[in-house]
Amino acid sequence: MSKDDLSRRDVMGMAARGAALAGLGGVSTLLAVKAHGSDAWYIDTSKCVNSRLGALGVDTCLRCATECVLPLSAVRAVNEFADCGRCYICPAYFDIHSAIDADGLPSKKLCPRDAIERRPIGWIDPDDPANNFYEYLIDESLCDGCGLCVMDCKEPAGLGSIKLEVRHDTCLACNRCSISIACPDEAYELRPTV
Amino acid sequence: MKAIREPTRSRSGSIRWLLSHALAIALAVIVLPGLNPAWSQTDYSRPVDVAPSEESIGEGYVTPDVQRPLATSIGRQLFDLGLLAVALGLAAWIVLRRRSRWAALVLTVSCLAYFGFYREGCICPIGSIQNVTTALVDPSYAIPYFVIGIFMLPLVAALFFGRVFCGGVCALGAIQELVLLKPIEVPPKVDRVLGSLKWIYLAAAIVFAVLPAVSRDFIICRFDPFVGFFRFTGPFHMLLLGGAFLVLGIFVGRPYCRYLCPYGALLSVFSRYAWKSVSITPDRELDCGLCDQACPYGAIEEMRAVRTSCLACARCFRSCPVHRSCETPAADVTQEAA
Repeated sequence: MSKDDLSRRDVMGMAARGAALAGLGGVSTLLAVKAHGSDAWYIDTSKCVNSRLGALGVDTCLRCATECVLPLSAVRAVNEFADCGRCYICPAYFDIHSAIDADGLPSKKLCPRDAIERRPIGWIDPDDPANNFYEYLIDESLCDGCGLCVMDCKEPAGLGSIKLEVRHDTCLACNRCSISIACPDEAYELRPTV
Repeated sequence: MKAIREPTRSRSGSIRWLLSHALAIALAVIVLPGLNPAWSQTDYSRPVDVAPSEESIGEGYVTPDVQRPLATSIGRQLFDLGLLAVALGLAAWIVLRRRSRWAALVLTVSCLAYFGFYREGCICPIGSIQNVTTALVDPSYAIPYFVIGIFMLPLVAALFFGRVFCGGVCALGAIQELVLLKPIEVPPKVDRVLGSLKWIYLAAAIVFAVLPAVSRDFIICRFDPFVGFFRFTGPFHMLLLGGAFLVLGIFVGRPYCRYLCPYGALLSVFSRYAWKSVSITPDRELDCGLCDQACPYGAIEEMRAVRTSCLACARCFRSCPVHRSCETPAADVTQEAA
């Protein structure tokens, strides 16, 4: 191998390297033009079947709870307290189709994981519990985001204060979110956060 | 009614319709009365039409805070990107200058621990191929700067130092590196044929990534064999695939890297034009051919590392008599050999 030969190879290598670097730079620029700081998975509530359909929606979608790669899904039901009616008989807390027990309340709870806590708030009428307001607190360590309560809180039964949200501190931010693939209505989107 | 609306439907057709909808009809008969408020046991009517105000609730009630999704931290992304750059540089220094298998192993295990088990494997340069492809073709799809960096850094490193990402930084590579206990040699012809699979996989990944949003799929992530292990959880098919690769990896050196990894395909192209890459030289090593047998990846031909397939694991240096005996100065050994 002569010295000339070697230098020619070097020059070829440099040219190829330069071209490759320029190519990578070009692609980076193309991408950077519309890039953003950071993104995360969100549920677009307006597209979610459970948020759209009320208690009469026949197809209850449980995929937020079942499809996540985590043992306990990163989706949680969130009660937007400001919009909550604080009902005496909350259709999302009680299974309103179950038999009435001695207290005059439905005997079964709707949440399969018993993640909702019900407690009277404000001025309490000692004689008539139906006259009180009640707070419905969702225990995030129990909720798996199945969305049953979201369905039943919706019109006409409830006011629609319960929504589903992705908890970004537990979400693994899978590049290919398996809930988003299974979602019947494309309610999942990777949305820029910054 | 049905027959009038659809006159073409025959008698057997309507029987078939009945049969195929039998479940739905049965459900309707059983479920519908339950849904009808008049038939159910509870007479339910919504008690309120609007949410009560704090005043009407009384007793100084304050609406509790609603937990909002936490913001993702940019600092952590910058840290990860910096760490990736440092690890690539360190890998290059270890395999090109230091030539120490021991140091390479420490680096690769550290990266497995951090990028694999701690950061749980998402997003990695391998999967980022799809995000980059989609972002290039779909005007409505954009990726964060972080992902551009994750995709570009190992390619740039390959352009300067060869596939140092594979040997030193990649968590998927590291987990296979650790299980390789009884390496067998894959016949070069078989190796070459299997090696072309990664190009097919890359092409398929690109095709699935450029599909319109409805049918788009990230197949590299869907069939990622090891992310399930990094997270200690995952779909069954993923864990099964990963287990199969790990068992195969006991005998065949890094089967995923060599035969399937689409990012490995890109890196092999870029490393072809590497400025400097892993080199077995007569000056610093012994031309004895021990390295040839030591390389489990079939990346040494004629006692020289093939830069496109060398995964920068530094096993060859450990097998080299010059590097093995730390006490003996390198020059002495080469002289003895001569």
